[in-house]
Amino acid sequence: MSLAAEAFVSQIAAAEPWPENATLYQPLTEDQILLSDCASSLAVQAYLRMCGLPVQVVCRANAEYMSPSGKIPFIHVGNQVVSELGPIVQFTRAKGHSLSDGLDDVQRAEMKAYMELVNNMLLTAELYIQWCDDATAAEVCMLISRPRYSSPYSWPLSNVLAYQKQWEVRRKMNAIGWGGKTLEQVYEDVSQCCQALSQRLGTQPYFFNKQPTELDALVFGHLFTILTTRLTSTELAERVKSCSNLLSFCKRIEQTYFEDKSS
Amino acid sequence: GKRPMTGASETWQLPVWEFVLVPLLLHRLTKLTGSDKYVDHVVQWCQVTSGLKMAAPDELFCWEGDWGLPSVSTDCLVVLAYAQFAGAPLKLRKISNPWRSPSGSLPALRTNQKETLSRPSDIIIHLRKQKYNADYDLSAKEGADSLAFISLLEEKLTPALIYAFWIEPKNYVDVTRRWYAEHLPFPLNFFLPGRMQRQQLEKLRLLRGDESLEAGEELEKEMYRDAAECMNLLSQRLGSHKFFFGDSPSSLDAYVFGHLAPILKSKLPNAKLQQHLKSLDNLTNFCTNILLLYFPRDGRESQKTTSQPEGADFDHVPNKRRKQFLSALVALGAMLSYALLTGMVSIQHVQHEALEEPPDLQHIGPHEEEGDG
Repeated sequence: MSLAAEAFVSQIAAAEPWPENATLYQPLTEDQILLSDCASSLAVQAYLRMCGLPVQVVCRANAEYMSPSGKIPFIHVGNQVVSELGPIVQFTRAKGHSLSDGLDDVQRAEMKAYMELVNNMLLTAELYIQWCDDATAAEVCMLISRPRYSSPYSWPLSNVLAYQKQWEVRRKMNAIGWGGKTLEQVYEDVSQCCQALSQRLGTQPYFFNKQPTELDALVFGHLFTILTTRLTSTELAERVKSCSNLLSFCKRIEQTYFEDKSS
Repeated sequence: GKRPMTGASETWQLPVWEFVLVPLLLHRLTKLTGSDKYVDHVVQWCQVTSGLKMAAPDELFCWEGDWGLPSVSTDCLVVLAYAQFAGAPLKLRKISNPWRSPSGSLPALRTNQKETLSRPSDIIIHLRKQKYNADYDLSAKEGADSLAFISLLEEKLTPALIYAFWIEPKNYVDVTRRWYAEHLPFPLNFFLPGRMQRQQLEKLRLLRGDESLEAGEELEKEMYRDAAECMNLLSQRLGSHKFFFGDSPSSLDAYVFGHLAPILKSKLPNAKLQQHLKSLDNLTNFCTNILLLYFPRDGRESQKTTSQPEGADFDHVPNKRRKQFLSALVALGAMLSYALLTGMVSIQHVQHEALEEPPDLQHIGPHEEEGDG
């Protein structure tokens, strides 16, 4: 989101309360959405539920092209559209809803750092496994990512769009130095990241003690999606399962924020 | 001249006779050539001839230093700092030609198994496996924090660094392109800076997922805001400590140093990042401390070189004197040969006279001496 737009949004946002008809857009859950998008979307949903802000989830095949930043998910609140977790957190703070106000400076620094850890390692690993992994390209990329990504489109366009997406992700991997990594190294990174999160969490219910923060929402979004999504190999989920406190953390958030609402 | 190596190679053990011979040889070579780039070759030669069965140290290729830094590149600084913190005996090659590196990019580590590593994290992992571990004392939670803050640096500060050094037009033209054009060898200096800029721009585009990225006020503000926030967070985390975890530096300190030192020491025309960093006293002290403690030689060199050009600030060229002398010599040679070829000066007459007179002198000189003897 551009700075001018952001300043505008925060000014306007402060004036208006959270409306009842707020909507969150994401791709079709059944046959289109990919692991990484699903994780980001779930993180935003968890965050909004933790804040106690009601939002209606709407699935659209062209959600990616509707989003102002080209990224999923985005929310439509009143007459404003905001995409991705970071800007959404700022947006809700401007409206007076925040989860991290109780933290001191050092804790806030650590929270931001761990959020970047998740973006930098887990999200990148998800993208790598979806689009770049050569060894199982015949599996994940060919059998899952490409058909799902291009499912709403008809034949020539579907191939073009899927190739375009794959090419873009591969270029990104090369730019950040992940191009030369093997699948095993990527799994190793995921393990390292999970262990770091697990160490940080320890025996606390949430990362910063009793109250959930946006970090908890982000971690939950990614780990829960990895645990519940069926890929051709279960290796990714296995790496997460090796940290038992993260498993119970996911279960706790699911029970607290997702189950009673649906029942 | 600068010595293209530090630390490790000086600690190699040599047989006794070489304690006498090697310094003599080096002394002669440095006198003859006016530079001590032969130190490396001689040490290598000694190692081979003396038949010492010592594991050759890994070789680290890095960009040259300037502005009082051991290297101008963030990635090189990270690796150099980590190697110093961990006390790893690396053979350091500071070069200004990426094509001479085994991977074609810098930094690069050539291990003694002839493997080549180029990502800083891979190099650090390799050193850790060789038991040079600066993170040995960290608890598991501190290790996790390191990982998180390194991610924070890569996500928030790296884009701003790329922007400040490569995209901001005035900074790029006045400082970055100029530095690389002056330091790269002859044919490369014409096209490599431009190519490096295109690569960096491409990297920034992909990092931000923004295809239509253009240098502009809005982009700059956004990036500098992220970077400033990141520096604030680091400053809060560091507090009044000397290093991030306790009294000894770890890999996180190396990463933070590598990202902040270029901001602090470079002399960019648009220095907003530097201004912000200078307002955070503990981070500024953190960087200068590491420079003083772990890279004292580079600090001293910079003081020398910065105090020199202050007077004659125009075009700071390395080896200026020697180049001036050489060009004067070449000009003189050209003038003389022109004069000779066109016949302005004729040498024959002079030679004739010179041949006529000396015989008399020679007759008198040596003969008398022989007679005395």
